[in-house]
Amino acid sequence: MRKKGEERYINFEKTAIFAALALFLFYVVLIMALLTFFEEKGFLEVLLSPDTLFSIRLSLMTATLAMLLAVAVALPAAYALSRLNFPGKKLVDTFLELPMIMSPVALGAALLIFFNTKVGNIIQEKGILFVFEFPGIILAQFATIAGLATRLMKTTLDEISPRYEAVARSLGASAWGAFLGVTFPLAFRGLLSAMILCWAKAVGEFGATVTLAGTMAFKTETMPVAIFMALASADIPKTTILILILTGIGLAALYAVRLVEKRPQIV
Amino acid sequence: MTSVRHNLHNAGARGVGQMVIMIFFFSGLSLIPSSLYGSSTSLLVFAGAASKPPAEEVARDFMKKRGIEVKTTFGGSGFVLSQMKIARQGEIYFPGSSDFMEKAKKEKLVFPETERIVAYLVPAINVQRGNPRNIRSLKDLLRPGLRLGIADPESVCVGTYAVEVVEKNLNPEEKGKLRRNLVTTVESCEKTANIVSLKSVDAVIGWQIFARWDPKRIETVLLKPEEIPRIGYIPIAVSVFTKDRPLAENFVAFFHSPEARSIFQRHGYLLTVEEARKYTLPPTPVGGEYALPEGWKRRKMGR
Repeated sequence: MRKKGEERYINFEKTAIFAALALFLFYVVLIMALLTFFEEKGFLEVLLSPDTLFSIRLSLMTATLAMLLAVAVALPAAYALSRLNFPGKKLVDTFLELPMIMSPVALGAALLIFFNTKVGNIIQEKGILFVFEFPGIILAQFATIAGLATRLMKTTLDEISPRYEAVARSLGASAWGAFLGVTFPLAFRGLLSAMILCWAKAVGEFGATVTLAGTMAFKTETMPVAIFMALASADIPKTTILILILTGIGLAALYAVRLVEKRPQIV
Repeated sequence: MTSVRHNLHNAGARGVGQMVIMIFFFSGLSLIPSSLYGSSTSLLVFAGAASKPPAEEVARDFMKKRGIEVKTTFGGSGFVLSQMKIARQGEIYFPGSSDFMEKAKKEKLVFPETERIVAYLVPAINVQRGNPRNIRSLKDLLRPGLRLGIADPESVCVGTYAVEVVEKNLNPEEKGKLRRNLVTTVESCEKTANIVSLKSVDAVIGWQIFARWDPKRIETVLLKPEEIPRIGYIPIAVSVFTKDRPLAENFVAFFHSPEARSIFQRHGYLLTVEEARKYTLPPTPVGGEYALPEGWKRRKMGR
């Protein structure tokens, strides 16, 4: 009887491992498929060309700024949703998933239409130019990742008992002191992995960026936009090389997540 | 009592869970295209967005009359050419202008002998309805502070024409002024029109047809006849990947039927070269390719 149970467990384990490997293979096959159009001699030429280097730099810079802005809003918002009660909390919580339901192109279109309204016009004329400009890329990426950042950070904070903070407060710590001294260090790894995931998503963001900021080379052409434009020029070898470069950057970031990620401990 | 409440709660949760699974299951089923349930003959058309409104109508008309399913994929002319080339599928290539058809012919992706011209296009300036910035000519686009847009000149045919207009008519100093006003290049023909509709720019150099696409928001300022370097045209040809060449040729021929021509005419397209020549000088060439100057190019491969 016990042997049968053990066998079942081994089969279960095998199935689970098979699923994980199958998923891994699925993505490896996709990347390998790119090699059918890959031209080795052009790799360095494309990688080191001024437009590619500009797109890489632009993507890294905008994604970092968008992620930092998103975190600045998401962390307090996640704290409020995780720890506090306020009117409309469920509605706010539901809206966090809006950027995932609303496609990035729709988000970009909504932003573009917003800047066509009176308020949008005032912002454009008296404040910052967003449409077809550098800040437009950051705004598009921010719109795509802010909800996700809040959701991920809320999940991290939900895992930490509010009692620790309450004890710190009872011992005389201020609200800020209790958060920074107790909750923040406990949540640090989770928050860091949320930041890296949001950064990676911002690096790969295309739909909202192309809609709000356009495709101008040496101005608003991020890496995903450069890939789209290479494909739109029917230049498939360049497309594959740019995809491989973006994939390399993305995988490096995601591997970093694996390194800092807090693994759930089940005792 | 607690146990009864607990059981009721569990039953309720189970019910909600089952409902959610059912919703996902039926949503999934409804997403499977009907063609996968077993389809009759169909045509796959890769089309540039420059002719979307009439092309959709013509395709619907063809389906109704011949009982053949027509699946149309719209996008930038180069983008859909890439899709066709990578997927090695499709019966018809229907780009927005001659440039990408020339590329398709060079790469042997279409049968050149099947190419037909569906309509003609003339480059023009397009501004917001009412012309609030009082743009009356190409030289007006040089005024400091204007926000201009064009389509990406390397991947969208109307962008290539815009560059050709600029290069042909402006001296280096004027070109510099125009490029300083150029705030964006966009990824498709229809978006070049949309950014005027959305007042995101003051003017674009696009096609004269744009004002017909959105007459409430777009107004066309015609270029002087001598400023127009080429007349564009919308070609159509049978793809080398077709599984049914006679049927594909039949579809191409349908675009010259009186029904199809009247649809294009109703949408404001120019059907003959004579109509197009009303906007240009008599010797203005029709179609062909334009070699984009280096200053407008990104680095290319595979060309």
